[in-house]
Amino acid sequence: MDRRSFIKLTAITGTSAALASCGSPENTVIRFVPDDEMAPGLAEWKPSVCPLCNSGCGLNVRVMQADVETTRDGTRGVVQRAVAKKLEGLPTHPVNQGGLCARGQAAIQLTYHPDRLAQPLKRSGQRGEGKFEPMTWEAAVAELVGKLDALAAAGNQKGLTIIGDGRRSQRASLFDQFVAKFGGTLSVRHEVFGDAVLRRANGMSFGVEQLPTYDLKHTRSAINFGGDILGTWNSPVAHANAYGAMRRGRPGVRGAYFHVESRVTTSGAGADEWVGITPGTEGVLALAIAHVMLEEKLLPAVSGRATALIDGWASGLADYEPARAEKITGVGAARIAHIARQLAEQSPSVALVGGPALAYSNGLFTALAVNALNQLFGTVQKPGGIAFTPQGVTADSRPSRSTLAAFASAVAGGTQPAGVLLLDGGNPVFASSKAWRVREAIEKFPYIVSFGSFIDETSALADLILPDHSFLESWVDALPESGSLVPVVSVAGPVMKPLFDTRASEDVLLDVARTLAKPVDFPWRTFDEMLKATIDLHGEDAWSTAQSHGGWWPETSQGEAASGQPPTARGAASVTPPSPSAGDAGRFIDPVLAGDADVYPYQLLPYPSLQFLDGSLAHLPWLQELPDPITSAMWSSWVEINPTTAESLGVSLGDVVEVASSLGAVRAPVFVNPGLSPTVIAMPVGQGHTNYTRYASGRGQNPIEILAPATVAGTDAFAWAATRVKVTRVSDPDGSLILFSARGELRERPYEGVTR
Amino acid sequence: MAYRWGMAVDLDRCTGCQACVTACRSENNIPTAGEQQASRGRAIHWIRVERYFEGEFPNVRVKYRPVLCQQCDAAPCEPVCPTYASSHNEDGLNAQIYNRCIGTRYCANACPYNTRFFDFFNPSWEKPLHLQLNPDVSVREVGVMEKCTFCVQRINAAKVTARGEDRTVKDGEIQPACAQSCPSKAIVFGDLNDPDSEVSRLAESPRGHKLLDDLGTRPKITYLEGR
Repeated sequence: MDRRSFIKLTAITGTSAALASCGSPENTVIRFVPDDEMAPGLAEWKPSVCPLCNSGCGLNVRVMQADVETTRDGTRGVVQRAVAKKLEGLPTHPVNQGGLCARGQAAIQLTYHPDRLAQPLKRSGQRGEGKFEPMTWEAAVAELVGKLDALAAAGNQKGLTIIGDGRRSQRASLFDQFVAKFGGTLSVRHEVFGDAVLRRANGMSFGVEQLPTYDLKHTRSAINFGGDILGTWNSPVAHANAYGAMRRGRPGVRGAYFHVESRVTTSGAGADEWVGITPGTEGVLALAIAHVMLEEKLLPAVSGRATALIDGWASGLADYEPARAEKITGVGAARIAHIARQLAEQSPSVALVGGPALAYSNGLFTALAVNALNQLFGTVQKPGGIAFTPQGVTADSRPSRSTLAAFASAVAGGTQPAGVLLLDGGNPVFASSKAWRVREAIEKFPYIVSFGSFIDETSALADLILPDHSFLESWVDALPESGSLVPVVSVAGPVMKPLFDTRASEDVLLDVARTLAKPVDFPWRTFDEMLKATIDLHGEDAWSTAQSHGGWWPETSQGEAASGQPPTARGAASVTPPSPSAGDAGRFIDPVLAGDADVYPYQLLPYPSLQFLDGSLAHLPWLQELPDPITSAMWSSWVEINPTTAESLGVSLGDVVEVASSLGAVRAPVFVNPGLSPTVIAMPVGQGHTNYTRYASGRGQNPIEILAPATVAGTDAFAWAATRVKVTRVSDPDGSLILFSARGELRERPYEGVTR
Repeated sequence: MAYRWGMAVDLDRCTGCQACVTACRSENNIPTAGEQQASRGRAIHWIRVERYFEGEFPNVRVKYRPVLCQQCDAAPCEPVCPTYASSHNEDGLNAQIYNRCIGTRYCANACPYNTRFFDFFNPSWEKPLHLQLNPDVSVREVGVMEKCTFCVQRINAAKVTARGEDRTVKDGEIQPACAQSCPSKAIVFGDLNDPDSEVSRLAESPRGHKLLDDLGTRPKITYLEGR
């Protein structure tokens, strides 16, 4: 039978079957499993904690039986075991309240990743060559103890240090305490997109050095200066929840939302008014809005420390008159006045700030200006305004920390001795500017130990790898700095047995501490004892409740805490005394950009990608195949260019361009983005790994490498948005830009010249 | 009375964060296509978040719209299927019966929403990634069509539970994976035959509209415009 007659035949029989089936139930289309025989799988749900960012969201893990291949006493076989199947948000958790972001859901692939390290490894080839051989845990721990004993015997305790990621947890605290008690050098907690500027500004403005929580649920109008609060910054799930409630959670009230930035983010997308601005001038806009409010007496001039911190505040901010602000910011004077009136009319109002706005040399000024605006709104630590999450664990007992740039220069200059380096995440070789020479500094250490579960650009340099359990296989904790109006300590036990011959790093460290010739003294034998000791401070039943709930927090709900009593700064991270003045940060100074404007006409904006943040999640295949919310790109790197700029450069979608700073160049295909300033070239951060599992290696480009080593004035924070670049066309589309939308969507205006 | 499952998506709450996309992938054993297959347009996402640009810098607007199978009452995908793989079930869902599907792809051609996906390859999970597979959802082999089921496995489980307790399914008892994960609670699911359900209430909203309504497909998803 040929194809045509087959189709004809099926069409005829099909039609008659359809006609016959009308009416009588016995003739309806039979399904393969009748309802009565349906037996849904039995699942158990256990709490855990998402380990991917600082938010510390609670997880609800679906656990079911599965056949697991395993090796026992050298014999391979299959055993039935309870394993994690799906991660959902924990509905009762005060931070995420049942929601969970795309990254958090993909965290399950950390446990089941095919390239996960399954046993301790020892370097067998040259350093960095990537050759390792397996060893036993006993031998591995003994080797580390031997190296640390040798350091102590030589009186070179300062030679021990640690580089880790920036997560706030008791795990991080344990590592830091170990280094401090041993007599080592300050630990480095590295985040490319860190929040040191905002913490410092909040210390100066409000006396609380902490990331704010925005009580959007009760806000009537909000203006956001660049903080990607719903996508990649602060506590995105908590704030998305509050954002939804701000828009549609109150009958008859819809909160207004303005968003100011130079490249549109998911947080800016939903804005009632999206305001494109000249990058680095956000603080001027904030003060221009304040100027209008003061001049038109829209709000009472209560301003807290703003008078002391902002030059000219007391005299009505004459320098920030809207017409002058228009020249600096590119936002029209009439529009500034209109925004100011809207914000004043719809109270309570709040101003948010974050992201690239704080990553220029004048970032501290920008943060102080927006803080002053909040003081003018009168909503600091009031419902609908800025809150500071009370801290369930006093975090200021942690040793103070150094920055990666300071570490690298101290090691290179010989002021910090290189002995034993512990690596606990953060991938500093990948996530740093070439100019810092971090790899060279790390390589000066004669002995490097990594606790990570994967080989990445940094752990590839290790001499010893002691792979951790996955977070689902061990105790896990987080200390959310923001995202909740009540104090939260996220804690959970293992939800499944370890798949491989791994060990919990915290327990390994405590074991090492005990075994040293001169032991480092800790009051706990295991990590869960440390966690219990903290939770026990909150009452007798607190520990057992915490284990079943996924953490400790007070019984009152978010809503009660917000509407009943205004949140206070009680127990906040640290309290700084009022500063008499902000010095240079009290007035606008043009952002300093690295590079000659004649040679490098554009500003490079490297932004944390929604999928990979700083690149630490590029090894998860679900996130690689997750379409980017602006471009719909998967498995790719790209360069975003404004349509007008693209025209002047003679490039269009998919064309390959070279983006060069004075430090180097990267090549990637073009995506033409109308939501981007014509003077800015944007690139997502996350791809460009040379050695990070089968899914991320050799894919795309890493723009962090070509960033100039600039800092934000008045702080030691990295000014990651302050590098100038030039762009040159390299070739026609090379097929490396993979867009999901190329499949054809319902868009009004389909893409032209889509690469397939 | 029979159920009639429907959904409401509040675009004023949606932030385009892609949480629903990952939740769906996790719940429904959607295979990872990989770079090669994805570059040929073969990546599968039962739900996607469409993005629309309006205007020019500095006055730009971006709109997001999550698009999934609209579970049409007058579904164009159903009458074109020669094998009844694409059929209407008693709850009003557009069911896709994989065992019957012979891969003519007529349904994908007929669907105006572009939400049906053909399996161009046999799915594989590099071990031990296979351990995350949901045992309640069958894995689709090469040559069949697949699409959003409204998480029919969750619907069935809730119906089994309700039957055991001699009652009907309560409003809010079933949450498809996308609705469950949504940080801003933009997606509401429920029974359109129950006039008191949240989804019925939202379906009546003056902000509501159906996608490509003029085609007469009678979708069971209502989109609520923000502004």
